[in-house]
Amino acid sequence: MKLQRVDVVVVGAGGAGGIVAEQLALAGHSVVLLERGRAQAFLETGHDELRSQRTTVLGNAFGPDDEHYVRLVQGAGGTWNKVLPSEGAYNNIAACVGGGTTSYGAMAWRYMEQDFHLRTTYGAVEGSTLADWPITYQDLEPFYTKAEWEIGVSGQAGANTFEPPRSKPYPMPPLPLNKEATQLFQAARGLGWHPFPIPMAINSVAYQGRGACVECLHCVGFACEVEAKNSTAVTVIPRAVATKHCELRTGCVARRIVTDARGRATGVEYYRGKELMEQPCRMVVACCSATETPRLLFNSASKLFPRGLGNNNDWVGRNLQGHAYSGAYGLMAQDVYDGVGPGARVACCDFNHGLGDGLKGGAMLANEFIRLPYLFARNAMPPDVPRWGAAHKRHVRENYKRTVAVQGPVQEMPMFESRVELAPEVKDAWGIPTLRISGRKHANDLAVGRVIAGKAEAWLKAAGAVKTWQKLPGAGVSGGQHQAGTCRMGKDPKTSVVDATCRLHDVDNVYVVDGSVHVNNGGFNPSLTIQAIAYMASAKIRANLGRR
Amino acid sequence: MQPINRRLFLFSALPLPFYAAGPLQVFTAEEARIVEALCAQIVPADGLPDGKGPGAKEAGVLYYIDRQLAGPLGRFAPRYKAGLGAFRQLLELTFEAQTAALEQLKGEQAAFFALVVDHVMQGFYGDPAHGGNLDEASWKMIGIAGQAGGHHQ
Repeated sequence: MKLQRVDVVVVGAGGAGGIVAEQLALAGHSVVLLERGRAQAFLETGHDELRSQRTTVLGNAFGPDDEHYVRLVQGAGGTWNKVLPSEGAYNNIAACVGGGTTSYGAMAWRYMEQDFHLRTTYGAVEGSTLADWPITYQDLEPFYTKAEWEIGVSGQAGANTFEPPRSKPYPMPPLPLNKEATQLFQAARGLGWHPFPIPMAINSVAYQGRGACVECLHCVGFACEVEAKNSTAVTVIPRAVATKHCELRTGCVARRIVTDARGRATGVEYYRGKELMEQPCRMVVACCSATETPRLLFNSASKLFPRGLGNNNDWVGRNLQGHAYSGAYGLMAQDVYDGVGPGARVACCDFNHGLGDGLKGGAMLANEFIRLPYLFARNAMPPDVPRWGAAHKRHVRENYKRTVAVQGPVQEMPMFESRVELAPEVKDAWGIPTLRISGRKHANDLAVGRVIAGKAEAWLKAAGAVKTWQKLPGAGVSGGQHQAGTCRMGKDPKTSVVDATCRLHDVDNVYVVDGSVHVNNGGFNPSLTIQAIAYMASAKIRANLGRR
Repeated sequence: MQPINRRLFLFSALPLPFYAAGPLQVFTAEEARIVEALCAQIVPADGLPDGKGPGAKEAGVLYYIDRQLAGPLGRFAPRYKAGLGAFRQLLELTFEAQTAALEQLKGEQAAFFALVVDHVMQGFYGDPAHGGNLDEASWKMIGIAGQAGGHHQ
């Protein structure tokens, strides 16, 4: 069914799509915001660990579901294995209104100045497509500030010695330190490091008509029961809809971007239930994530773009990256657990850059969110404790409240061969070809990970740990919640997919606005950077649409 | 506040073993006894910290696994049907002899045993609403009963 033409179709009501829809609707443009998932209330999932976004053993609480979706992931020996959304290798990112921001941990980081010109900072890296961004931190700074104020971030300006210059303080003070963070804060000072409270997209005080965080122990992986966590579902998307210029359509699965004989987009085809709809528009903005956006572009192939929309140079889907998470666990002499959420409260940026020994990049180090019992019993055991039986149970009983974890998202060197491709022979429940994932991490990232894990152990020991053990990443490709890089931003159409305004080089009315455009992914959780880019791109899209 | 779990309420009053009383959906009575033996080995009852100290068997983890195999974990049901037979010999042994026998069996049946361990951990440490962790047994054990599920308002 063909619908009435609108100005813009935004595909994906997640962390970026919600912002784009709101910014364009505020400017008076007619917007349709398509979301394959649904709006989810807290009560649907509550605080069920086994169906949270972190422990998906009984299914993804926030989508996508195992019944409708599947991917192929390359295993050892080059075989392609079918993987369900609730299985780790799927590299799931939530599919609901708010996307990943509905259930994220909500760390709200700015990347550092060097992160935008890593190639200049470290030189060429063998085996990596490392490049400078076509924009600088200074270009993005006003939009970081806008994101912090519009979405709502609590933090302490100036507390992080390594923070790049900012034009405005945070709109809210930081959340208070919990018991373990207090201990770690003092220990970091003792080591000569520079600890500070983590900036969070969580209300520390009432803000924008919603209340403050109640410090429950469930945070990461869950929707917030008091709406103090600032997802796009409780901030910009309701504002977009309130303009009456934006229509949010849930349960709508995009099939392809429709193009004309000249290669320009004329609309978006999507399924609402089993019915195929066509929404004509002047402009399309793909905000589907670094795995699903390339899939949409591949599935939008045409005569002019036989390998997928905007993919005549074979860069769409390349450079898939997440973070090579590395860190350590420590066993304290006494209980440090106080049940005060979200748990992650203290960080150091002493090791994001300049590790020496030829190592490139690094990671922010922070204490972890509160680990719930199942994840603790599976993942937080020292190597010398059996995985089951009486000794395992005894360890859990005696050490649940004494175990502290410190870890960091190690920045990855982009790899051309780490990628998302179409898997034409395997289809989702609507018959749309699904995608397949393959690749690995650069050796640098694993080496940096070992250094970061060593720093984490040192930090834990200084805080009183009587025993520590490392947690190191595997060598396989990463993506997951932090997926990025697959529609790289750049000046040269031959080595990137979108320009500095997030517009496809080859199609002047299609934009990509999500983690896909990141050239590299920083040593930080990426959501605030994705959102700053969304504000920046929205301004460019508005200019491109013209005045109304 | 935890919502009242009807099954939990009913069954805690029954003296019968769970497999005799419960409406199992996937396991036969014998399979259920094997699963319970595995539950007891993977998370044993130990009387700690309060003289009760239930393990996975007492916490009804059999019911967790059975219910999930009839639901979201249905894809693993054939592996249980094929894999449990190798552990039937446990039923003839004392608890201590079972522990010794598992040392051998866990190597021979490594992949299946790892799957069972994972499911038992889910059932014992996860939300009681899914059928295991009866009366928040594991949450009481680690001292977070009343906090780890539900909501806080």
